[in-house]
Formats: sequence, structure tokens, C-alpha cells
Amino acid sequence: MKTDLADGQTLKEMFASGTAWLEKSAPDINAINVFPVPDGDTGTNMVLTMQFALEEAKLNSDNHVSSVAKSLAHGALMGARGNSGVILSQFFRGLAKGLEGKTHFDGGDFAKALAGASQTAYKGIVNPVEGTILTVLKDASKAAQEAVKNDDVLVSVLEAAVKSAEDSVARTPSLLPVLRDAGVVDAGGQGLYVLLDGALQFLKGESHKIQYRRPRLVVAETELVPRAAQRPTQLETPHGYCANFVLEGQNLNLGKIEKDLKKKGQSLIVTGDDTLVRVHIHSFEPGEILKYATKLGKLHEITINNMDDQYAEFIKMQRERMPQVDIAMVTVATGGGFSELLNSLGNIIIVPGGQTMNPSVRELLQAVESAPSDNIILMPNNKNIVSAASQVQSLTSKKVKVIPTRNIPQGIAAFLAFDYDMNLEQNAQAMEKAINKVMAIEVTRAVRGTRVNGLEIRKGQFIAILNDEDLIARADKIGDVIFEALGKAGAEKAGIVTVYYGAESKEAEAQEIAQEIRDRYHTEVEVVYGGQPHYNYIISLE
Amino acid sequence: MVKVVTDSCSDITPQLAQELGITMVPLYVQFGDETYRDNVDLSTEEFYHKLETSKIRPTTTTATPADFAKLFTKLAEETKEILTITLSEKFSGTYTAALQGKAMVSKDCRIEVIDSQAGAGAQMLLVISAAKMARAGANLEQIADWVRRAISRVHIRMTFDTLEYLRRGGRIGKAQAFLGSLLKVNPVLGIKDGATFPIARCRNRTQAMDFLVNFVRGFSRIEAVAIEDATTPDDLQTLAQRLKDVVPPERTYRSKVSPVVGTHVGPHVLAVSVLEAE
Repeated sequence: MKTDLADGQTLKEMFASGTAWLEKSAPDINAINVFPVPDGDTGTNMVLTMQFALEEAKLNSDNHVSSVAKSLAHGALMGARGNSGVILSQFFRGLAKGLEGKTHFDGGDFAKALAGASQTAYKGIVNPVEGTILTVLKDASKAAQEAVKNDDVLVSVLEAAVKSAEDSVARTPSLLPVLRDAGVVDAGGQGLYVLLDGALQFLKGESHKIQYRRPRLVVAETELVPRAAQRPTQLETPHGYCANFVLEGQNLNLGKIEKDLKKKGQSLIVTGDDTLVRVHIHSFEPGEILKYATKLGKLHEITINNMDDQYAEFIKMQRERMPQVDIAMVTVATGGGFSELLNSLGNIIIVPGGQTMNPSVRELLQAVESAPSDNIILMPNNKNIVSAASQVQSLTSKKVKVIPTRNIPQGIAAFLAFDYDMNLEQNAQAMEKAINKVMAIEVTRAVRGTRVNGLEIRKGQFIAILNDEDLIARADKIGDVIFEALGKAGAEKAGIVTVYYGAESKEAEAQEIAQEIRDRYHTEVEVVYGGQPHYNYIISLE
Repeated sequence: MVKVVTDSCSDITPQLAQELGITMVPLYVQFGDETYRDNVDLSTEEFYHKLETSKIRPTTTTATPADFAKLFTKLAEETKEILTITLSEKFSGTYTAALQGKAMVSKDCRIEVIDSQAGAGAQMLLVISAAKMARAGANLEQIADWVRRAISRVHIRMTFDTLEYLRRGGRIGKAQAFLGSLLKVNPVLGIKDGATFPIARCRNRTQAMDFLVNFVRGFSRIEAVAIEDATTPDDLQTLAQRLKDVVPPERTYRSKVSPVVGTHVGPHVLAVSVLEAE
């Protein structure tokens, strides 16, 4: 029985609804990242990726589903942030392939497209791991295909997929030990489930309910350890518009203005008195802000800047400072110290970002396009940015080699290995070799209690992570955690140890630690200001 | 027989010069008012001792046209053919001085002046081969022709713990890209088109030593190698030991950078030069 043939508009609204639902879940999803570090946030990354996808679809006035799906896929690709974002973009690529050439679609088409999406997503990952978003997508797609056998109505097919996705999320801890230890379900899988669930609500005509409710986290099938309190999420998207104005009126209520505007944007600053108020805010819809403010009084000195343009301008300026070179380098870094350090090592374009803020594919692409050469070496410096960096290669006519640096010490080692006398391929080889010779220990405070690698960790304890992968030490005192980690990492074999101290650490403490490393291991030790947020120390062993 | 002449920046030891019949023309090092002939009035050891104890920073000057004219005139009494190989013209006016000196000679003698487009060990390897060809009876054209073709087959890599000396002396060239590093690095430089050129950066001396060894290993056919230090004979010994299996010791020349070269590279330079076989 065919009652609902859906068109491109339907597909758009399905995912707009899904994104709205996902947005509400983002803080919860962020909080279930496996490592209790201030990490690239899965929930936020997925939302940002979806926002790009929808933006692109909005610009497309074509109502054919094939065309809308293509726009979604393109937008998702350009906006992909973090690993979850990249997988999401591959999901949309597969969906677009499945819906190619169609003006409308039904449940059968959707099921087929889901199957394609699942395959595409698996292919895009070098080492697919079960118990992640990939498994959830695969299970959802299987259920959709089963459902079609009974009924190919879109809403029934999607309902089956959502149900199966939920069950699949609940099973992730039994597939992935690291999730079981931490007592959480997979964050990316949870995100996909919520996205599809939101789309289903639209088809059921229930999307208005999204406003009042909030998605819940799937409860794992196995019994889990009770979790400590969630950490607050603080994250700011660097794009949209930066609005500034002065509001003149009578009996203005600063507190209320602040409260009202808080919902409409980020980086909000409200200052002044009851007759004159200055407002600074970042928002995707500055018109809404102005509309709100004009109701309260007269506006003066209004400036609205497109931050994307500002960013492009910034990149252009960087380029003009640089002469054309044979091979140009692009990298990602946060922390004033690291940026200065990288700049001191030679000409390099630095895309701001890292652990807390993964740059999008588009930002990386912009930097590559602006670089003063057609041969580019791109170093992501973070394991969550590696896949986004790989996407850039197919989007530019420039020759781009991605050196898969997973942390800043690897990025620095690769940069230093750059040989001015060699060509792009030879350099890429030498640099890849160099990153395998450096180990990185990252020291931070646990943002919540958990269990990882059999270690019981309390909130606020210092933890050390080796090569972004293994939580190898935890202790109440920073010195204890550092030396336990150094011991486990085999510091006695290192020729040179570099201690990069973060924004919250003191140089004197770093020097003391360095001296103790020299005394214990009789190795060269250098102390350098990294200025990185969240991480008290990043220590490299070479 | 062709007489082979070179300047003191080729770092050829007096013993080897004598053995191969090479005539050395010294450049000059100046500590304030005191002037020393490179490797004649001042040995490398004495120079570095002075560098450490003297408050005055040394400067260097080229050999003069008159130095060359006097030498050429004297040599013209025993030979009709003189080949002069100088330090890169981009580092020093010695090449120009040699040409001017040649113009001042009235004796009936053919004189060729070639810019090695190199210095130190790289220049040394060209001069040694030229001298050996001369002893084997080759004429001026043959040797000059060989040297000109061989220039592109000599390669030098030098590692430092600081580029400060090179910068101060204005010989840093494109390697200024390596200046200002906030991280302690041991830069590796080469010479390209007659000027210093940045190659790579190592984190410490051990890595830099590895780089030099791997550099030599990268050649499939090597005619000769020159290795040099300034004040670190132990490092030079280690380097020689590690290269023993790559190049036979009889084709490995060991030396120290001359005071003039030392003024510009500093006390912790370690260099290796390779002459590729044709």
C-alpha cells in the first residue's frame, strides 16, 4: 500500500527535525565520551556537521529528493567535524547515492539508501570498530530492509530502523570493552539514534513536541556502573555573525536582556546601565537579535560582521605575509605557546582548533587553498581531526599530503623532519617516519569519575594518557602521575624529553619536573611553554 | 706538471697539502688589531682557545690579489700550468682576488681559476682529486674540465648547535628560515648554488649525527668522503667509526675547520662531505 511518496522537502524537514532533536541531546552525548578528558565533543561535532548539511540543503530550491540528498551530503562533508562528523557525512553520501535520480522516495528507497549509507560509512574508515556509530547504522539499515518486506511505507520503515538503532546503542558496551569499563554507551551511536528518532517524529507529525522534551540517553543492556555527575559543556562555534550595538532606552533590565539573549547566541557580553546597554553576541541569526532589541529601545552603532568572512580575511592576510614556496605547510593548534612555537619553526598556516574544537573540513580546505603553494603538507595534530584532514585531499586541485599527526608533539616532530632539499613525496615519507619516533604523554584532570583500563578514577584526579589512547596513570598529585606515566612509557630509552606546560601550569613547577626527569633518567630535558588549555602538561619523548 | 692552488677554507691539512703538492693560500683572521694568516700563524686549536678567552670578536678577510700574484709569479718559475680552486664566491672575495692576481702575472704561464661553489670539506674533495690527477700527468684542460663537472657531485652537510656565528658573519643565506626557533634544535645545513641552504632540524646532537650518517648511506657510489669538526674530536671519532663500513678509511679524509671557516660556523660544527663517483 503506497500512501506516502515523500519529496525533497520532506527529506529536508526530516533531518531538520532530527538535528533539532540532536541539538537537545548534544550535552548528554558530549558527556559520555569514553575518556574523561576535555575532548573533541561528539555531540557538538555531530550538530555542527548537521547544521552545515541543512544550510546547504536550504540553499537548494530544487524539490527532487535526489538533489536535496546531494546538497545534504555536500554540506555535511564541508562541515564535517571530528570522527563522528566525518562518519555522518559518509552516511549522507551513501544516502545521496541511494536516492540518485529519484524525484520522490518511499520506505523501500529509504531502506536501500540506508544500506548504501552503511556500506559507504564502513568503507570510509580504515579500521572499522564494532560497538560504535558504524554498528548502529548497520543494524538500523538491516531492520529497515526487513521492515520493507511487510510494508514499504516510509514512516513504518523508519520506525523499525529507529527501534533497531536504539537496541543497537544499548548493546554497544557489550561489543566495546572500553565502553563497558567506563559504563557508557557509544556517543556517536547515540547521536545517530537521536538524529533518526527526530526525523521519525517529523514523519509522525510530532516534531512540535521536540520543543518541550529532551532525548534520553539509551540505557545499556548490561548493568552499568553508576556514573558520576556530567561535566558542563562549554563550546563555542566560531562561525555565524558577530553583532555589536548600543541600546538606548528607559528602565532597561540588564539581567533580563542577558537572560533573553543567552538563548539566541554565544559569547554574549551585556554591559551598561538602565538607559544605555552595550551588547556583543555571536549568532547565526543576527536579525532575530536586532528585532528583539528594537522592541526595547533605540539602537546605535550597529555592526554585524560575518565571522566566516573575517576568518577568510585572516587566512588571506597570512598568505600575503608569505612568499610562494615549493611546499607549504598547514596545521592545527590551540594554545598561544604552541602557535608561537610552530611559527618560530618556519612558515606554516595554523588553523585554530584541537581537542576542544575540531576544525571543519571547510576550515581546513580554506587554509589549504590560501597556502602559498600548490604542494601542501597538512598536519591535523589531533586524532579526531585526522579523518577530516583526509577529506580535504579530494576537495582541492592542490596536491595535499596528510601526515596523520595525532598530537602536537608528533606535529612538531614532523615539522622538524621537513627537509628543504626533498620533494613532496619524499618529505611526506620522512615526516611520517618521524612521527613514529615520538611518544606523547598528556596530563589533565578527570572531568568525571570513571573506570578505564581497570583504573578507578575519581573526578578531579590527575590522569595521564599515552599517545592519545591509553590512560596509563592516575594520581592525586601531578608529579606522581607524571612519573608513573614516564616509567610506563619507557622514558629511560628517550634521547630527549620536552615538557610543554599548559596555560594553567607554572613555569617554575615545569622546571622542577624537568630537573627530576634529568636526575632520574639522565636524559636531555627541555621546558617549553605550550599554553594549551585543559592539559597541564604535554610531554614528548623522542 | 700542473700546479694545484687552493685557499685555506678548503681545510686541507698541511701534511696532506705537502703530500699531494697542493699550494695553500691563507685567508686572514683578525682579532682587533692582530692579523693572523689562516692555519699558518694560527692553528684551529689556538683559534678556538683565543675565541673563548678573547673579548674581541674575530673577523675574517679574503686573500688579496697581490697574494695570488706573488704566488703565481713564483710558481710560474717551475710550471707553465696553474689550476686554482677557490671558496664559493658567495662566501668570500677570494675568487675575485685570484682572478685579479692572475691578471697581474706577466710570466708566460696559463692560469685557470675555478669557483668551487662550495667550501670546507666539499672544496677539499675537489682539490684532492685535482691534485691526484695532476700527479698522474693530466694537463690543465683535463683537470679543469673534470673539476667543473665534478662540482655538482660534491655534497656537504653541516650540523650546528647554534646558527648564531653564521648569522653574525652574514653567511646564513636561506638558512635564516631556521633562525628564531623557540625549541632547541640542531640545524643541518648544506651548500646549494654556492650558498648555505637549510636542510633539516634535529632535536639533539645524537639525532644530528644519525642524520649525517644516513646522508652518506644514501649514496650508492662514493668516490671520497671528508669529515670535519672544530672542537669536538670525540664526535669526529664516533662519526668516523660509524662511516667505516660505508666508505673505506683510505678514501675518508679527516680534518678540522680552519680558523676562518670556524669564525663563521662556531665551535660545535660537525660536517661531512661526499664526492659522488661519476
